[in-house]
Amino acid sequence: MSGPSTAFKGYIKYRGYGHVAFLLHRLTGLGTLLFLLIHIIDTSFVYFWPEGYMHAIALYRSTPFMIGEIFLVFSVIYHGVNGLRIIYFDMFRPDLWERETGKRSVIWTLIISIVLWLPAALIMVRNILVHH
Amino acid sequence: MQVTLKIFRYNPEKDSAPHYETYTLEAEPTDRVLDLLEKVKSYHDGTLAFRRSCAHGVCGSDAMRINGVNRLACKVLVKDLGTTNITIEPLLGLKVVKDLIVDMEPFFENYRKVLPYFINDEPPPPDGRERLQTPEERERFDDTTKCILCGVCTTSCPTFWADGQYFGPAAIVNAHRFIFDSRDRGAQQRLEILAQDSGVFRCRTAFSCTEACPREIQITKAIAEVKRAILTGRLD
Ligand code: FES
Repeated sequence: MSGPSTAFKGYIKYRGYGHVAFLLHRLTGLGTLLFLLIHIIDTSFVYFWPEGYMHAIALYRSTPFMIGEIFLVFSVIYHGVNGLRIIYFDMFRPDLWERETGKRSVIWTLIISIVLWLPAALIMVRNILVHH
Repeated sequence: MQVTLKIFRYNPEKDSAPHYETYTLEAEPTDRVLDLLEKVKSYHDGTLAFRRSCAHGVCGSDAMRINGVNRLACKVLVKDLGTTNITIEPLLGLKVVKDLIVDMEPFFENYRKVLPYFINDEPPPPDGRERLQTPEERERFDDTTKCILCGVCTTSCPTFWADGQYFGPAAIVNAHRFIFDSRDRGAQQRLEILAQDSGVFRCRTAFSCTEACPREIQITKAIAEVKRAILTGRLD
């Protein structure tokens, strides 16, 4: 029967190129949304609770958060690139939703995202190493 | 060669929860997964329940999840699976009646909602013969005529898993078949139905339907064409 638990089971157990792209799109979207929410809340602290704000800023400079930021950059890039692919296919070139082209486009999206992400990731890793 | 089948088992009348049963059997690389199920049922456990009819990929009754992907058991050869460990589970998103048999009624209910039949109240041509169309006009919807309503696409769709109200790929494919038929006059009516909340715009282009379709219908493309027809009001 359909419902949240079936969806969750499917997310985990189903296989396929498109399925992986769909899952990554969801995860990176939710990840980015989570970050935005936290960020909006902590920025609002400046007004309501200045010490809390300073505390949050200090927290962001800790290693786990900086590693998290590297993934955040990937999330934003992947979500953007994949989103553009979907918009382009769906609005302008439905014929590209063909079985083989569609599969290949999933791989290309991943490659382009990683290529765009790597330079940023390297700089960020270096920053972690220099600061700590 | 020896293969190990891990099969989802559930009898709602007896079992409190589903479980998996493992069977080891001899198989030829050219055996189909359906042959293995028949072997299990004949020689190992006669209580195993699954649907099948034509055994040639025509009737669409043996749709199931094989190693995590929706397939027709009669169209999958053991050698093409790339492993001797085969996990067989029922389609997702529909209620399990017993073992690999699911209740297809919600699927057909969605199908009926899109008016999947020819609509044209105009009088037939004066010669009393069929309504003609050009080969190009016929070609326009050729791909979506191939659907066998097996349910593989709809039950591979993450949107359908979450919400059975979503019409699903199969219903949209069958709407597409008539919307783009030059002889049909029901396109507007169908597009209005498909523009509703549970219609085409619930599609998240996960693309699993296209990858899974045993008739190789370009489903995501068909859905995109319907989306476009709704947005632009054009049927080209
Ligand atoms: S048994 Fe008819 S499609 Fe497989």
